[in-house]
Amino acid sequence: MALLDIRNVNIVYKMEGHDILACDDVNITMETQDSLGIVGESGSGKSTLAMGILGLLPTNITSIAGEIIFKGTNLIGLSREDYAKLRWKELSAVFQKSMNSLSPVHKVGKQMAAIYRVHMPSASDSECRKMGYNLFEKVGLSSRVYDAYPHELSGGMAQRVAIALSLMFHPALVILDEATTALDVITEGQILRELVTLQEKEKMASIVITHNVSVVATTCKKVVVMYAGRIVESGWTDQVLVTPKHPYTQGLLKSFPAFHGERQSLRGIPGSLPDLSMRIPGCVFAPRCPHAVDRCHKERPSDILLGEHWRVACFLVEGDEKQ
Amino acid sequence: MTKYVMKRLIIGLIAVVLSVAINFVLIRVAPGDPITIMAGMDNPNQEMIDHLISKYGLDKPILTQFGIYLSNIARGDFGYSYRNNQPVMGLIGQRLFPTFLMTFSAAILALVIGSALGLAAARTRDSRMDRFFSSISYIFDAMPGFWLALMLILLFASRLKWFPTMGMINMRAGYTGWAHVLDVLYHLALPVICLVLLNVPRYFRITRAAVLQVMSEDYITLFRASGMNEKQIFRKFVLKNALLPTVTIFGLSLAGCFMGASLIEIVFAWPGMGRLLLDAITKRDYSVLSGVYFIFSMMLVSATILVDVVCAALDPRIRLE
Repeated sequence: MALLDIRNVNIVYKMEGHDILACDDVNITMETQDSLGIVGESGSGKSTLAMGILGLLPTNITSIAGEIIFKGTNLIGLSREDYAKLRWKELSAVFQKSMNSLSPVHKVGKQMAAIYRVHMPSASDSECRKMGYNLFEKVGLSSRVYDAYPHELSGGMAQRVAIALSLMFHPALVILDEATTALDVITEGQILRELVTLQEKEKMASIVITHNVSVVATTCKKVVVMYAGRIVESGWTDQVLVTPKHPYTQGLLKSFPAFHGERQSLRGIPGSLPDLSMRIPGCVFAPRCPHAVDRCHKERPSDILLGEHWRVACFLVEGDEKQ
Repeated sequence: MTKYVMKRLIIGLIAVVLSVAINFVLIRVAPGDPITIMAGMDNPNQEMIDHLISKYGLDKPILTQFGIYLSNIARGDFGYSYRNNQPVMGLIGQRLFPTFLMTFSAAILALVIGSALGLAAARTRDSRMDRFFSSISYIFDAMPGFWLALMLILLFASRLKWFPTMGMINMRAGYTGWAHVLDVLYHLALPVICLVLLNVPRYFRITRAAVLQVMSEDYITLFRASGMNEKQIFRKFVLKNALLPTVTIFGLSLAGCFMGASLIEIVFAWPGMGRLLLDAITKRDYSVLSGVYFIFSMMLVSATILVDVVCAALDPRIRLE
């Protein structure tokens, strides 16, 4: 049984007068201890998907359809109480801008203890402190952080605290939503390497959400490329990011500098995201695609299978067609 | 923390001395002088004018006057009001309590009502209640205070006769004991309602905005993701973070409590500081003016220091200097 099985998930933001389709028929499968990267530019729906998995979408302005099956339970439509039992124990997260992931007017330890007591209501202060010290050791922080205020920490330290928090109950799945984006590249590199080691040690699966392809390359075995709410390509990282098939993935990779090989000028992708409040009958990338043909604008491409896990949603790719 | 407080006390002291000096100069530079008012318009007698000038020390150089004034203040002597023929200290003393009673009760009520409404509105954002209070808050915020006071008197005092139109006590009845307390409360109601209506919007909007801002922070999302229930998140983490701007506004309005609300006091004929000040200005009563301004600057400085200390206690980032 898969750890996480996302089937035909649609997430809509209900705005006044029009609906915005932020996730359009998303399918993702993850096994235990898998590491999956979700890449895409801002507005591609990747963070919305993460919030959907975590059950944190604002209910009054969003609606979600489909199935998110986590450890055999469908998370969509799960009652608040049942969800609360899963939260943090099985499913935890590290959020964007780690500097803001702690309340500025409470000590780090106090906040850790408050989260610990959500699931261990009878834990004493000294038990909480012990738990905190253990977690800090795992992420390479000194125990004095427990009595510090968040503003007394550096960006890298705050990030490590956020990661330590997510490991608290040895969850089966951790979602890292742009977790290292705010850090400088050196700290980012260090933390990413540590994350890979931690993940193996703690035997947990992770979803890394980022717009930075190199983050996925260093931390994830599998990758999903999202564009305008749809998955355009997915598969093993060393295949998809080395020989990308979808024109969007190709464009995305050309927007990053390569360390090795020929010196090439960087190219972005001309154009911008389509208006997601309009229904797009064809391929979402067609208006910006350099190879688009008539059919791309009229018909939605289904996934082409290239090998066991590699899927590409593009008419121009040869392979077995599969729904 | 001690260093933090000391620094503020010293700055506060400098501010008070400076404001005393500026007031002293401004009052004397302003057109008009008390001697012509005291001597009378009809038949100014040069002998009398000279006598008055030397009696009040106005013939001395202005710097000497300032020196005398400073040393008097240091001894707690604010001079003598020529208009009321009594010491300034006593005059201010009589007025301070009525003013404080009115403005302080209004400030507390406005704080409680405004923040409660703000919290409720933020938690039910975009609900009908939120929209109602948000729009009405602009109306009361933009309303001139004296006009609202007049309207309240017209409606509740003149027409409905629920409240007295003016004053702090019923002069004719001469109540004592509890009857006196009730009488004061009865007279207090309308001016306090007026001040509360004028001040609630500020607390409402500040609290609402602060709560909404805190609720959108990443750490609140993290607490939600951890399975903590909304009530606990709100009580433990949202409140303390959202409290800071409200504390600042309340602290500063506390200083305003001693200054009184001149126009409201005049409309309701309330025997407070604001009226004392306006009377002193029109009659060029220098010693009363200087005394009142001195008290104001003291109160403002104390309130600012108090706000700084309370904020520092609430927010560790402010303690860092």
